[in-house]
Amino acid sequence: MLWALKSSIFATFTSLMRKFIPIFFAALLLAGLPACLFTDSEVYYVEPVPDDPPERSVITNLDTLNNPQVNDSLEVIYQVEVSGGEFYFVYADVASSTIFESDSIYGSFWITPDMADSLGVDTLYMEFYYSTNSNSMADMIGYEALLDSLKIAIDFNQQGAK
Amino acid sequence: MITLSMLLVSAQQAMGQGGGITFAAGLESSQMDDMKYLQEHILSTYPAEGEITSSFPPYTSFSINLFKVLYDHIHVGAGYSYSTTGGKSSYADYSGHIITDITASSHRLGAYISYLVMGGDRLNLALNGRLDAILTNVSVESFYSIYNYSDGIENEYRSISPAGSVGAELMYNFKSFSMGTDAGYLVDLQGNLKDSGNGNPLVDPNDTDRVLRSDWTGWYVHLKALIWLNF
Repeated sequence: MLWALKSSIFATFTSLMRKFIPIFFAALLLAGLPACLFTDSEVYYVEPVPDDPPERSVITNLDTLNNPQVNDSLEVIYQVEVSGGEFYFVYADVASSTIFESDSIYGSFWITPDMADSLGVDTLYMEFYYSTNSNSMADMIGYEALLDSLKIAIDFNQQGAK
Repeated sequence: MITLSMLLVSAQQAMGQGGGITFAAGLESSQMDDMKYLQEHILSTYPAEGEITSSFPPYTSFSINLFKVLYDHIHVGAGYSYSTTGGKSSYADYSGHIITDITASSHRLGAYISYLVMGGDRLNLALNGRLDAILTNVSVESFYSIYNYSDGIENEYRSISPAGSVGAELMYNFKSFSMGTDAGYLVDLQGNLKDSGNGNPLVDPNDTDRVLRSDWTGWYVHLKALIWLNF
């Protein structure tokens, strides 16, 4: 009796399976189709051929002074000469603080006693950024730079330091 | 393949009954002239000289159809087809990369009629014609990375167009199923692409009066399996 019932259920199930398996797998196939999108893993890689880096020089009014002193204030005048490339920016830092920035090849700024951390000799850092002429993508959009640094010892010997 | 194998095993009906189901997979070409044009335009905006590494080549296509034997030599049916293609342009060097992927996919619903030109015990040759409505999805994705900075943008577009195709199929009959190949040519009447989100048309960047279109016109070649069903 039980065996007959099981056989009947199995037969019915098999019959249904026959009918619905094509539909089930067709649905499965359709559901998976959107995953079959076009793909291309190739990337066009280039080794840029660099041009010569720009010729550059910087002069300041402090070049000939030894530990220039900041009394009330000290003016710093700079001039950049660059050929075969582009000048981007100059930053001037004293005591880890940026005191001046410019994209001009000529300019000036003032150093005052309150810019120093303490009395005594501190360092004025000037960073000059130029194009690399590397012909990389970063170079072409100005996101890559050559850096020239200038360090000048400054004597903050007056009251007014931080 | 597993799916097809199971379907074949599961089908125990004999040939010559009321209808059947067909599965086909293969390659399909497309014109996509406007998409190629857009791809070249995007490439021209790269800061460095990139290259197109693929431009809408023949690519994967699938279809599934239900048919009914109307007369001895004529089958009528309806079905769904899917095909995809795309294009890629890129530039990369030590400082970063910029990549644009355009991916197009088509979903086609349509009706077809086939006429048995030559029929034997084993080989059948039939001609067929088909009318479809095509829903096209196009994804345009550009992203770049330069040193530690990266960004990107993705846009989705959609179009609907009517299409017609003619082809031929050559099938080899086994006991309970048939296998073979079909090939043909599809003509897409092209649909204007619109942004999937806001519905704005995708216009020609150099002529804003012209809307860019999808175009699946091209040939197709499929391997095909047919299973007879009793309905």
